[in-house]
Amino acid sequence: MNRRTVAVALAALVVGTSLHAAPADYVFLPSVEYGEREIDFKAGSARNSGDPQESAASLGFGYGATQRWFTEAYAKYERVQGEALAFDAWEWENKFQLTETGEYPVDLGFIVELERPQDRSEGYEMRLGPLLQKEFDQVQLNLNLLFMRHFQASVPAESKFGYQWQAKYRWQPRFEYGLQGFGDVAEWDHWGPSDEQSHRLGPAVFGKFGLGERQALRYNAAWLFGLTDAGPAHTLRLQIEYEF
Amino acid sequence: MVRWMLAVVMLIPSFTLAADSEALLVIREHRFEPPELHVPAGKRIRLLIDNRDSTAEEFESYVLNREKVVPAHSRVPIFLGPLAPGRYPFFGEFHQQTAQGVILVP
Repeated sequence: MNRRTVAVALAALVVGTSLHAAPADYVFLPSVEYGEREIDFKAGSARNSGDPQESAASLGFGYGATQRWFTEAYAKYERVQGEALAFDAWEWENKFQLTETGEYPVDLGFIVELERPQDRSEGYEMRLGPLLQKEFDQVQLNLNLLFMRHFQASVPAESKFGYQWQAKYRWQPRFEYGLQGFGDVAEWDHWGPSDEQSHRLGPAVFGKFGLGERQALRYNAAWLFGLTDAGPAHTLRLQIEYEF
Repeated sequence: MVRWMLAVVMLIPSFTLAADSEALLVIREHRFEPPELHVPAGKRIRLLIDNRDSTAEEFESYVLNREKVVPAHSRVPIFLGPLAPGRYPFFGEFHQQTAQGVILVP
């Protein structure tokens, strides 16, 4: 498949889809592929009954710079129902693979993200934390503990704590299935009451299509159900990566 | 609560489980040597991949859930197992026509 064709198609998906940051969250994995280049498209849409639908999307370029470090930069967009698509932020993501897969009881990685929102009153946002992975035969489990804080924002903010997890059954390369979950508990050292915490989970699908000549398309998607009133009742999220 | 989680995470690298067995796989002229690698069942394996070519190769196996780029003239370890008896195919993604192999567990 022609690389230019795939890249243009992914860019068109961003223009044709309008989305918001939080709904497009995805589960980080602790492994890095050295030398891999990728175009990464993420999208999501969330809604609560009676509230406007919120959507988000991002398009980025990533590179496995070393055996242990993957870096990616991307542009993020958002849209609230009834409003126009708007540029939301630039984000720079750095992932570090700290252990070899399978060498220890749990595989360990680390993520550091730096975001510059278009709304300058938000200052800079940093999100970081450990990435954990464990496999049992064909079952793969992931758990990420994430801390987020704004700097130089017009309103001082406390550090927040959130998490991601997924459980996947590796049935076949092009189709795997499982569950994903996301959540946040407000301040990291002073969890808010349950009605101020956001927890979502739901079914997910995953897969990889080899395109030959070191090219591949990876996808994962999930339909998440909110477990608390603080978060959206329904979230549909999707990620497509073109690797070359 | 969060502090306890972080403390447990930081201890992970201290729980080193030494491999029960070691094996060597050589990449030469875009082929794996040996193409059939025998390893014991029920053991943790440290598989050392020695790429003697002047170009990189990517060791990949879906059933083993491993993808690892091996730079030219380099050695990288891959940790496997414990494996149940069976056949575990692998290939070199950069030279799939010739770089094919299987791990056999009796």
